[in-house]
Amino acid sequence: MNVLNPQQFAGQAPASAQDDVWIPSSCSLCYGTCSILAHRVNGVVVKIEGNPDSAVGKGRLCGKGVAGIMTQYDPNRLRYPLRRTNPKKGLYEDPGWKRISWDEALDEIASVLCKLRADDPRKLVVQRTTTVTASRVPFHAFATAFGTPNFSVSGGGQHCGNGAHLISGIMHASWSVVPDFEYCNYSIFFGASKGHSAGHASCSNMGKAADARVRGMKMVVVDPICNFAAAKATEWVPLRVGTDAALALGMCNVLVNELGIFDGPYLQAKTNAPYLIGPDKLYVRDPASRKPLVWDLRAEAARPYDEVPAADAALEGEFLVADTPCRPAFACLREHLRKFTPAWAEEQSGVPAATVRRLAKEFGTEARIGSTIVVEGVTLPYRPVAAIAFRGAQGHRNSVYNFYAVDLLNHLVGAADVVGGCLGFNPTCHGHPETGKVRYVPTAGPDGLMVVGSWMGYHYPYPPPEPRLPRNLGLQDLFVIGMTSPLLDSTDRESMWERFEVPYRPEVMINFGSNLVMSIANKDAVAASLSKYKFIVSFDLFLTETSNFADIILPDCSYLESYDSRANFPFIFSLPGGLGEWCWPIRQPVLPADGEQRPFADVLLELADRIGIRADLNAAYNAWLDLQPPYRLEGDRSYSYREICDAELRNNFGAERGLDWFCRNGLIKWKKKPEEVYWRPFVDVRVPIYWEFLKPIGEKIAAIAEPRGLKIPMEYYDPLPDFLPCKSHCCDKQGFDFYGFYYRDVVHTNSFTMENPWLDEAARLDPFSYAIAINRGEAIKRGFSDGQNVWVESETGRRVRGRLKLTEGIHPEGLGFAAMCGHWTDGQPIAKGKGTFYNDLLDLDWEHVSPVNINLDLCVKVRITPAESVS
Amino acid sequence: MSIRWDAVVDRKAASHDAPAPPPRRPAGAAHLGADRVRARVRLFGALASISRQSMLEFEFRPGDSVGDVVARLGEQLGEAVLSHLLDQSGAKRRHCRLFVDGYPVEDLRSALAPTANPTEIDIILLVAPEGG
Repeated sequence: MNVLNPQQFAGQAPASAQDDVWIPSSCSLCYGTCSILAHRVNGVVVKIEGNPDSAVGKGRLCGKGVAGIMTQYDPNRLRYPLRRTNPKKGLYEDPGWKRISWDEALDEIASVLCKLRADDPRKLVVQRTTTVTASRVPFHAFATAFGTPNFSVSGGGQHCGNGAHLISGIMHASWSVVPDFEYCNYSIFFGASKGHSAGHASCSNMGKAADARVRGMKMVVVDPICNFAAAKATEWVPLRVGTDAALALGMCNVLVNELGIFDGPYLQAKTNAPYLIGPDKLYVRDPASRKPLVWDLRAEAARPYDEVPAADAALEGEFLVADTPCRPAFACLREHLRKFTPAWAEEQSGVPAATVRRLAKEFGTEARIGSTIVVEGVTLPYRPVAAIAFRGAQGHRNSVYNFYAVDLLNHLVGAADVVGGCLGFNPTCHGHPETGKVRYVPTAGPDGLMVVGSWMGYHYPYPPPEPRLPRNLGLQDLFVIGMTSPLLDSTDRESMWERFEVPYRPEVMINFGSNLVMSIANKDAVAASLSKYKFIVSFDLFLTETSNFADIILPDCSYLESYDSRANFPFIFSLPGGLGEWCWPIRQPVLPADGEQRPFADVLLELADRIGIRADLNAAYNAWLDLQPPYRLEGDRSYSYREICDAELRNNFGAERGLDWFCRNGLIKWKKKPEEVYWRPFVDVRVPIYWEFLKPIGEKIAAIAEPRGLKIPMEYYDPLPDFLPCKSHCCDKQGFDFYGFYYRDVVHTNSFTMENPWLDEAARLDPFSYAIAINRGEAIKRGFSDGQNVWVESETGRRVRGRLKLTEGIHPEGLGFAAMCGHWTDGQPIAKGKGTFYNDLLDLDWEHVSPVNINLDLCVKVRITPAESVS
Repeated sequence: MSIRWDAVVDRKAASHDAPAPPPRRPAGAAHLGADRVRARVRLFGALASISRQSMLEFEFRPGDSVGDVVARLGEQLGEAVLSHLLDQSGAKRRHCRLFVDGYPVEDLRSALAPTANPTEIDIILLVAPEGG
């Protein structure tokens, strides 16, 4: 038996009564995972700063990172394993926690897991928070070894990912996009705060964005609320919640049809714009090779796309190929865009038609189509404009088209992954100069369209897998465009599983740090889902609202007490895009655990031993980390997590650079090359400005779903984007005048940091953090005053209580909630009772889920009433 | 200015050659003679659970491919198991990772080479969806 000793995790320089050291490691207050230096004096961490040696954060650290000390030393942290004594589970049931030993805890968990695996391993659901990026591989590896496909990232994934990451992946081969801050002159942010608050590469981007603004980059922020990004912008454009696609499509129409601005050579060479489209909206294909055809202007004939010089491929016109009338995809797009007039865009989004025209003209003019620039001796296309989107545009039933429409702006003018344009986060890496690892480059997949070179997981955005009768509880193997699924916890989950003949039900959950009762949608729906589990084990730093449903709580080591060889996902997640350095930092313990806490990764290894799946787990680590001889984990040998970290680092950076080397140095870095950063001209791949693949995917899904009674609205599977309204846009109930939405507060991470006293103090000083922002004029018109307590009620009768903050900086129809507040657990006394629990307004069922990427709709039409007037 | 988008860059200067193939164990006298290759296939995680087997051995001819190994697996373990490895078009599923002597193989056309010891083939299904 591998009995873990907390002292073995005490780091390279053990804490002692007399010391004074700065230890390089990685933050974990949000998934940005910036590199830090922790100052330890006489065995106590007295300060945390950014590590100036690292490209991840570049020496900057936000308030959350600095305040990590207060999370570390919080007296409410869990210190020993707990077992519930009250078998009844509920939102407000006291679990009757009883302290138990690690052996008792692991024995019981292993016993449950052994029986479950022998029965059906798919009955295990593994769930983790996205806040700790380093938890990804250990929990994925464990789920893989156990044999379950059911993995969830709770609200963190569902609220952020299915639209944003899908489009970034398909169009930029990366998890997210950002303006090329070094060179961009004109940027438009659609509901995105990249460079201004939280998120991927947050501290690095804050510096880059600030420098860009000083340099003169014009920044237009399109957002219902004027906060962290908009407050620093050149211009704030308020729009109606969830109508980003309408504005972007209006701008695309102006660019192409009114101004005639588009980058023809880019569209010919790097997109599917020349591919011929038939009356069935599908590619016209070469009968022999099945490749899409383009019209060769020189040969005056249709030929496979890869046999025609780009300059000879027609973008416009009507042709007849084997008696089939067809047009290039670009011509279809151009025609499709005509209906999105500025007047129409104004009607949908509330943005004046004149503004739509002006923004489009500025964007198109600033793009400098046709220009080049020399960067470090390499001549490259120069398009100093970028349109980016993130959480704001993402949180809607229509998130696919919201993002598709916004990103079209970039592709129409050729501003994709070129100098000054919209950059994916590091989609191409040629590897470390000495070892050639970690190397990845996008490749051409089916129909010549781009396949990502690196991705977080194996559910690649393109090509999507074939839809099939689902066997995953989240139904992602049917709704293949989706990545994370709210259907695992939805109120209609059982009827969906019955409908699709899913032959098993979830019985056991392993949860890591996720407070899903608060993070997904309304608490009652999630509580009902959790109550069905026979056994839940949860790794946590604190008791949370979700803990009430756990059978066993395992106290986790903090980020200052843990190792990890890949604190950041390489490199599409939290390494800043643009020129600079490749950088691979690690995490190492700064302190020993001060109780019985154990690091989750080692606990999973011990569990694997206890249930007899160590060989499977070793094989899973080999696969997830791409370990190759001689660093592969062998057979069923019991490795510690420290040894696995060491193997990964030597595998990637050479025999001399193991974990000890990294603990001394903190990180390794090397210079990025221009052809890596601005990779688009160098890699022979195309991206779709016409999503032909969507239509057959929709038809295949419908063929499975509709005979089983689930109607699939095919307008979500059209190859060209449209504005499809959310449920909230269709609500006409009297008195429901506002669109509720939440936004990321700069001082908080999801629901996690509310317990941190410094961040709580900062939030209490901020007039918005714990309040509900409402347009001043609209509030006064209705008789509401600043600071007034109100009920906010959804059209389905869900309601939350909060305090109004009147401001001019919000759209007249918007009602903005900061962060994810409103804790009620006694386990977090600092957080308890602060702010409003917005997610409790959200319905969680198929009606509120996108039928294409199963994205949960996060906006809700609400009415507000004085709190005193409601019983 | 009208510069061809695809003519901006000197492609010869770009270093995007395919990575060198991974080193393999040196070829030696084949265990079963030069005309035979022995392959030992280990299945992990869900695959082992589904197939109720975790190790199988096969013999092949030099030049046979990894795809031939997968086909033999299908013959022995059935279509249900094979469907976890291959999609409807016969391509390897992306989340199915396959390692030959410790090196990842994506192209099922990769040939098996005679070696002194049996070729070790590890196959594992990874969890596909992710988020965050």
